[in-house]
Amino acid sequence: MHKRFLLIFFVGISWVAADSLTYDTTPLGDVDRPMILRTYVPDPGLDPAVFANHGKASKSPRYSPKSGKDTKGEYSMMKVIPAAIAVNHGPALSYVWDTTECRLLYAWQGGFLDLYPYWGTEGRGGRRSFDYGARLMGNLFYLAQPIKGGNAEAPKFLGYDLSENGVPTFRYRVGKEEYTETIMPTSGLYAFEKTVNGNKVSLKGKLISKHQGFERNLKIKTVTANEGEKVFGAYGCVACHSIDGSKGHGPSLKGLAGSTRPIEGGTSVKADAAYLKESIQAPNAKTAKGFPPGYMPPYQMSEKEVDSLVLYIQSLSK
Amino acid sequence: MKTILITFAGAGGLLAEPYLVEDIKFPPEVPPEVGAIDFAPDGTLFAVLRRGDVMRAKPKKDPKSWDWELFATGFHNGCGIDALSRDKVRVTQMADFTEATDTNGDGRADQYRIFAAGWGLSGNYHETNTIADDGKGGYYIAVGTASHNGPTAEHTLGEYSKFGRRGRNFASVKWKGTTLHCDAKGNLTPFCFGFRMHNGIHLDSSGNLWCGDNQGDWRATTPLYHLEKGNFYGHPSALVWDERWPRDKDPLATYREDLKAYNKHRTMPAIQVPHKEMNRSAGEPYEIPKNFPHFPGQMLLPDNNSKRITRIMLEEVNGKFQGACTHFLNGGGLRSGNHRVRFSPDGSQIYIGQTVRGWGREAEGLQRITPTSEIEPFDITSFKITPKGFKLTFNRDLAKTVKDSDFNFKSFTYQSKWTYGSPQENKKDHKVAGVKMPGDRTVEVMLDELNPGRVFQLDLAKLMSKDGAEIQNRLFYYTANEVPGQ
Repeated sequence: MHKRFLLIFFVGISWVAADSLTYDTTPLGDVDRPMILRTYVPDPGLDPAVFANHGKASKSPRYSPKSGKDTKGEYSMMKVIPAAIAVNHGPALSYVWDTTECRLLYAWQGGFLDLYPYWGTEGRGGRRSFDYGARLMGNLFYLAQPIKGGNAEAPKFLGYDLSENGVPTFRYRVGKEEYTETIMPTSGLYAFEKTVNGNKVSLKGKLISKHQGFERNLKIKTVTANEGEKVFGAYGCVACHSIDGSKGHGPSLKGLAGSTRPIEGGTSVKADAAYLKESIQAPNAKTAKGFPPGYMPPYQMSEKEVDSLVLYIQSLSK
Repeated sequence: MKTILITFAGAGGLLAEPYLVEDIKFPPEVPPEVGAIDFAPDGTLFAVLRRGDVMRAKPKKDPKSWDWELFATGFHNGCGIDALSRDKVRVTQMADFTEATDTNGDGRADQYRIFAAGWGLSGNYHETNTIADDGKGGYYIAVGTASHNGPTAEHTLGEYSKFGRRGRNFASVKWKGTTLHCDAKGNLTPFCFGFRMHNGIHLDSSGNLWCGDNQGDWRATTPLYHLEKGNFYGHPSALVWDERWPRDKDPLATYREDLKAYNKHRTMPAIQVPHKEMNRSAGEPYEIPKNFPHFPGQMLLPDNNSKRITRIMLEEVNGKFQGACTHFLNGGGLRSGNHRVRFSPDGSQIYIGQTVRGWGREAEGLQRITPTSEIEPFDITSFKITPKGFKLTFNRDLAKTVKDSDFNFKSFTYQSKWTYGSPQENKKDHKVAGVKMPGDRTVEVMLDELNPGRVFQLDLAKLMSKDGAEIQNRLFYYTANEVPGQ
């Protein structure tokens, strides 16, 4: 929180860059002056055939960094689109245009994207480890359909131009033919205009689904080790702390609870519940021997989240 | 101000900080997650920030009152930038290499064109990439791998490889873990293979290409690589994108079981930088220009995971680069997250771009390092191997004749493999067989034994210069891939 105050303090002596992205994870453009954002946008349920020019990933055996070999289980894939462009005209229109298929993939109204799972908070960044795709906010009303008979030839994205107001006109080529495509909001509900090579068409969809961004609260009813495992996943703890004893940026959690831990500075401490809790909430109070001081950010979790996480860590010592 | 500081340093030099480290402030609401920085020919500094904005400003002396302007936006995790002019930049982002131009002079880019594309993108968060000028209007592009701490998308940009997907850091889509050459027209060809996360690549003034990498799987410790066409630099996953590698062979499984074949195939790092002691995660290597007053011609290697920058002293032995490392700066007001380096156009100041976003504690921003004196801090300025030991050159006359016990040498080996980093093995304490001083600032140390393939650690006594300064660094590592005459 103190960082915010510092920032306010500096406002008076620093020029403010208009329209820059900020720590706000739900940025918005304007009806006349859109915002363009490239990120891992969600795939809200497109027909797989829409991705005719993409590669196809498959489930992969889970890897154990401890043994260096496959372990039980599989990695599944995430429903995001890798190379698309998201555009927002405020609540009036949002859409995703893909640079691989070179076409509009979907459109929605009422909001834009919630980037919290990807950008995290100001104080700690924080990406949701296997779930970091941006979330839609608003009412999805248009989904692209597969091109009948498929593409004759893969399109090639060339780039885009911005109008005076920053409205993008996408440029791409199919074979020798060059295309331009501009998408604009209209005043209508679930409607927009698309201009391809100068030919304007009005398109109208209907409500497909409602989206409210990323659900931040894990809503734990009872404090359990199982809930703690969810917390462990949600906060991306595994990026630094393994659960199988393998090395990482932070100490492994395997066998941690109940053990006696050497601390930088020469003392040691029993890893009881109080120590585990302190290490999550005030990680720099003590630094485990062999690790850099001040590296782990403090986590603002609810009491139930912390307590569940402690139970989970303790379960790794059983 | 300079005069005052010189006086300060001259008045003993014991306590004076050799560098002034200043925080260059972005506008307060702007997340300063600096993916890359570059100076345009007119001296404008550009910074691409990881959420998507490209900011520009003319540097000012006061670090807190720069007039930053938003020049372009809409990039995904841009981590490489070439500022061609005040009105034109090229940025490598996750999916492509895009040129953004302000065509109407209103200060904001309005034309975005693909300059080069062709590497894949799996949907994994880790797949950033960065660039170095090739000196001919083109680039070398360092394309990083994905992390097993994140998934891939169902539908990938470009072809997907199931063998490339295996392991800790992986290369499931095209050209992950490779270095590409990009010609002046944007045509891409693979240049060399086998990187984990070479977050920083640099062409020095002699035309040698360098990159670091991150300690981890298949990285025993932080390496500095000299890049040459066609070589394999040791992270197996990328081999699925090397046409010479059989398509039905899993490179990771192959080399996990056969380290002998692995060692035969790979090119060793020119320098192995001990991970804990020196540099936890290499950023962009960068040659110190002639007009910077300290250690010109040597190389900086920022640490992305600690508050320090490594200084690299290279030499060629038996036709290959190797050499020594020590700290250039360790603390002194530096933040962590160090990964991009540019010198001011006059060469007098260093700008360091910093970000670790989403990887540990936040360490984001832009800092400027200014020497507080034209005179180098008292240190070893050249560290060379001889057939029997090492020749050390100090940058000031030594106060006293040195003795054997001033030089404590140990050596060890590293074997990179599938584990996350590897320990120092085959440790040996060396006896100093003799020291000679051919001059007031040169020392030749003879060791009891000098075998190639080892990293030598020097713990130096608290030496004093004739003018009363204490030696700045007392810990050095020399990577002896080669020993002259052997």
